[in-house]
Amino acid sequence: MLDVTGDASVKTCDGISRRDFIQAGTLGALGLSLGHLSALEAAGKVRHGHNDRSAIMIFNLGAPSQLDTWDMKPGAPREVRGPFQPIKTKSSEFDICEIFPGHAKHADKFSLVRSCYHSAAAVHDTGHQMMQTGRLFAGGVNTPHVGCALSYLRGRRTDLPAHVLLPEPMGPTGGDLPHGQDGGFLGKAYDPFVLNADPSSADFKVPDLLPPEHIGEARLARRRELRSIVDETVENFEASENAQLMDTNFEAAFRLMTSAKARDAFDLTKEPEKVRERYGKTRFGQSCLLARRLVEAGVRFVTINTFITVFNEITWDIHGSRPFTSIEGMRDIVAPMYDQGYSALLEDLSDRGMLDDTLVCNLAEFGRTPKVNPAGGRDHWPQCWTSYFAGGGIQGGRVVGASDEIGAYPAERPVGPPEIVATIYRSLGLELETELPGPQSRPFPLVDYGTSAIDELF
Amino acid sequence: MNKTTTPSAQSRTARRSLLLLAIALLACPLLFAAGLQSDDVDGVAILPSSVELFGPGATQRFLVHRVQLDRLGERIQKELTFEVAAPGIVKIDGDRLVAVADGETELTVSGPYGSATAQITVRGVGEPQTWSFRNHVQSVLAKEGCNSGACHGAAAGQGGFKLSLRGYDSHGDFAQITRQANGRRIVPTDPGRSLLLLKPTQTTPHKGGQRFETDSLEYRVLSEWIAAGTPPPMADDAKITELEIFPKSVVLRPGIHQQIVVLAHFSDGRVEDVTQWAKYSSTSTTVAQVDDDGIVSVVGHGESAVTAWYLSRIAIATISVPYDQDVNPNTFTNAPRRNFIDELVNNKLASLNIPPSSQASDAEFLRRAYIDTIGVLPTASEAGTFLRDQSTSEVKRDRLIEALLNRSEFVDYWSYKWSDLLLVNSRKVRGAAMWAYYGWIRQKVEANTPWDEFTRQLVTATGSTLENGATNFFLLHQDPRDMAETVSIAFMGLSINCAKCHNHPLEKWTNGQYYGMANLFSRVRTKNTKSRELNLVFASTQGELTQPLTGLPQPPRPLDGKALPFDSTEDRRIHLAKWLTDRSNPYFSRAISNRVWANFMGVGLVEKVDDLRVTNPASNEKLLSALADHLADNDFDLKALMRTILQSVTYQRSSKPLPSNAQDARFYSRYYPRRLKAEVLLDAFSQVTGAPTSFRGYPEGWRAMQLPDSNVNSYFLRSFGRPNRIQTCECERTAEPSVAQVLHIANGDTLNGKLEAKNNYLKTVTEGEMSESQLVEDAYLRALARFPSDRERGKLAAVLSSVAEGEKRAAIEDLYWSILSTKEFLFNH
Repeated sequence: MLDVTGDASVKTCDGISRRDFIQAGTLGALGLSLGHLSALEAAGKVRHGHNDRSAIMIFNLGAPSQLDTWDMKPGAPREVRGPFQPIKTKSSEFDICEIFPGHAKHADKFSLVRSCYHSAAAVHDTGHQMMQTGRLFAGGVNTPHVGCALSYLRGRRTDLPAHVLLPEPMGPTGGDLPHGQDGGFLGKAYDPFVLNADPSSADFKVPDLLPPEHIGEARLARRRELRSIVDETVENFEASENAQLMDTNFEAAFRLMTSAKARDAFDLTKEPEKVRERYGKTRFGQSCLLARRLVEAGVRFVTINTFITVFNEITWDIHGSRPFTSIEGMRDIVAPMYDQGYSALLEDLSDRGMLDDTLVCNLAEFGRTPKVNPAGGRDHWPQCWTSYFAGGGIQGGRVVGASDEIGAYPAERPVGPPEIVATIYRSLGLELETELPGPQSRPFPLVDYGTSAIDELF
Repeated sequence: MNKTTTPSAQSRTARRSLLLLAIALLACPLLFAAGLQSDDVDGVAILPSSVELFGPGATQRFLVHRVQLDRLGERIQKELTFEVAAPGIVKIDGDRLVAVADGETELTVSGPYGSATAQITVRGVGEPQTWSFRNHVQSVLAKEGCNSGACHGAAAGQGGFKLSLRGYDSHGDFAQITRQANGRRIVPTDPGRSLLLLKPTQTTPHKGGQRFETDSLEYRVLSEWIAAGTPPPMADDAKITELEIFPKSVVLRPGIHQQIVVLAHFSDGRVEDVTQWAKYSSTSTTVAQVDDDGIVSVVGHGESAVTAWYLSRIAIATISVPYDQDVNPNTFTNAPRRNFIDELVNNKLASLNIPPSSQASDAEFLRRAYIDTIGVLPTASEAGTFLRDQSTSEVKRDRLIEALLNRSEFVDYWSYKWSDLLLVNSRKVRGAAMWAYYGWIRQKVEANTPWDEFTRQLVTATGSTLENGATNFFLLHQDPRDMAETVSIAFMGLSINCAKCHNHPLEKWTNGQYYGMANLFSRVRTKNTKSRELNLVFASTQGELTQPLTGLPQPPRPLDGKALPFDSTEDRRIHLAKWLTDRSNPYFSRAISNRVWANFMGVGLVEKVDDLRVTNPASNEKLLSALADHLADNDFDLKALMRTILQSVTYQRSSKPLPSNAQDARFYSRYYPRRLKAEVLLDAFSQVTGAPTSFRGYPEGWRAMQLPDSNVNSYFLRSFGRPNRIQTCECERTAEPSVAQVLHIANGDTLNGKLEAKNNYLKTVTEGEMSESQLVEDAYLRALARFPSDRERGKLAAVLSSVAEGEKRAAIEDLYWSILSTKEFLFNH
């Protein structure tokens, strides 16, 4: 059994107070930068990481219809096959839907898993939890997002945070449950850095990254000096998780503020206009571009939420009626924007030789009902859908698993969310049995024992 | 630990252990509060204390537990001797009693800690064993997961075989099993060839894998039921009336494994040991985990509830695991008490061996009470006056509490809170209607309208959406199902939406109850006018809502209340409101008490505050019940409840942790610091700097807490966790700090803008005559409601006095920035 629950955690770190950081301006004295994995490796408790890959997770909030995207059933009855036609792709193994021509051109780079399913309640939130953490939240145990676990284990590479979430966290999707986009039981110190801005807006910048221009160096120094005097009354807070977190956040914030490299990574104006246009001047497209820049600058994990909520937004959630989306809305608005951003990302990663070291996974919380509903849409269907993976050691152009003749159930090789998450961990070079300190120091393996990655993808 | 290793023990006492308890209580009133520290043992108890066995081969598991002080301690499994008074009636097999012949007898257990006796009755040994579909076959299918949501209980079934989720629809399931698929699931002439047995034993391929062996009890039940001719569920089948769990409450240590025993009582008087059929879960798996056999493993300190589910009934066992640390028992007996809250909190802390922190200083109390009660900081002069007041703490704190409860900001703060709950949002309710809705809430808060009256008026509102603002509550939801769900969650903390499609898997609510509740709203109508804002809400005398499962409407009935006749012409909502706000409805008073408590204490007795499931009990059930009773006794006067909370020693505890209570985050051993709410924080920035926030469409100086509506653009409020008011759920609000928030405080235009605002308070100070030292003191009183320490005063004044004259304003801005960006300011503590 691994012992990672002890002295390495921020909360029990003593000797150096968080104040010292701000007072002295020294960085990284907290063990946050190194990550906990190296200590484990040094202690011989896990094998050395196999690689140092990064990952971009594109989460298709709302949940695309498997039948109108990557797992078409042209031979099925009309009420099943839907309105679209399949097209040939660069892979000899699979066709996809005509509304994703960009994907078709890059199909040699990604592989499909057509037999995903989960068995929890068919609300968006449960799928969000499981697909991003590997577990359904229960009994007060909230497993961290994959990127947050990575951030805990490996720390950050540079002054940039280890895990960045674009453009904002998932909002309400009807289930009132947590979405699994944070540090969970590891604590808020391992939450992703959230952009909270639309990178496609004309005046896009990271909110509040820099002090107002008229506050010069001298005043900044004075502010820090004064603050360190005021902040000496800490005894009330040492046992308050949120208060400790505030310190950690101040540390992270000051690091971001003071690093030119970090600031540059977020600066999309450094990209030629032609490149920006290739990704599409959409929130999703520019998030993909920003993700590429962040990974280039050393961010380990970028999560992109394709959408923020299913209410009153045109998304993958094609129930066919308001406040949700119609199948035409998906065809005309969602698909072009999504197809453009994703294919530009794959193209760039590939051209720059980054694809082998960068996993790109496209996930969703479930699939959609095989039969088109009376409103002309499709409803929630966790019994079967498709996820896909590119880069990060994945062999492209393949299909793993298969659904039945109407895309209703896995017919071969059913794959649950834990296996999806395990596949990401494997790509990142982490041992699946590496244990994280859960609530009250109860150890949790990255994924439950007995879960394997989808090895056929590699 | 597996089943085979749980050895011996026998029976049940009853009177004897009760007597022991009574003696313990009388003899050791002081030790009572001190937890189970000593090895003093008062005796043993047999669980259950009376055993009834029905039918041939009937068995009943039993447990022998130590009784220490008044509480059930660990199970005893060694050095016990068992004696059955009439051995021909019952025999002992491991930890089970097995029926041998009809009759009555007693089991006596003796051991090192004492002895106990249980009564045993055996009946029906001579009668043939019969398995009923409703009670036995369904139990097998539920326990083995066949009818779970992951398998055949899914909405679409699995592999063409569809069962109701966890077996709530016995008639439908019976038809599925015996009639569908051309009846091939059952082979009456050769039960063993029935698919119902071939599949789960994996004799033929089964996607769900092997569920049980051919020599199992599960197999026996199904095969004998088939052999008996598949008797269908009958109207006069015995129905389950009660589920009982043992031990109900037990004190254990980490590392202990505890067998849970579950009894089902049926309407024909039978009692069955259903331990092996029940499904189990634990509310806090970091304290206790439970496996499929009902064996609890204790893994940490604190408290957890273990839930057993059987035939849609639920029973709960509380597992208490006191912290293993040296605490002087006097800590608890001598702990100060002001009112019943302190008594009950103290008892809980004693039972878990968590010592309380000391009392908060006057300055800490002052700031905290302002923030929690009215959402603003005390002004420098208010703070100065209070701190200099020489009256005793209790006198001046009580005086302050009264003053706060009567402040106009009280109305702002609580109107805002109930507007969160009732979703006042101009995206949904526009313009004048939104103002009417908010105005109605505000008026009720101002008048301190009792909560039951508030609720009645809201739920039964009729008339114009502009004249009677409460009618907008209906307009927001309209669909009877939405209304039923929203009323349940807002006023009872009950989430019933699972029961919309099937019986609630974790609660007692059935699909029928859901549609009965929803049908109470089926006659509410709205009439549109030319104005989008003006609608009329009224009750019609016709209209029903059909329950899809039956194709018929359910009688209009508030959850487990009484149904109205279909032909009653009374506005059905009046019937609902009566039931909802009746004193005998525990959900109503508990839900609001928990909400108010959570406002002041930061953590609800039930977390989340919207989730008052039976399977999610309060961290201190007695306290929640007492608060609810207190509220009802005071005619639902919320201010009375607030006063009691504010006056309690518990509320007035310091937030400084002790090493021995730093782990506690649920039992109120100290005040839990938390970040100021988005609106409170923004208003506090405005107040301290004297620079109000501008909200578009609102007059200058309007505070965030005075906004009627969540649909007011503000980057600050959004990124600091203001709720969107889209769903009735406390979870919409977040108070957790993030890097983005820190960046915004440090660099953003909110705080910096206020510091630099032209005619703000900092300008007054810059141009004023205060010395550096006075300036520091003034800033501390304004922002932190306390005097600076000599050290702080000296060091800060020194920095200020080193500044060139032209830099004075900038330096004062920097001083305020420094104070307003520290935890002491950002947190309520």
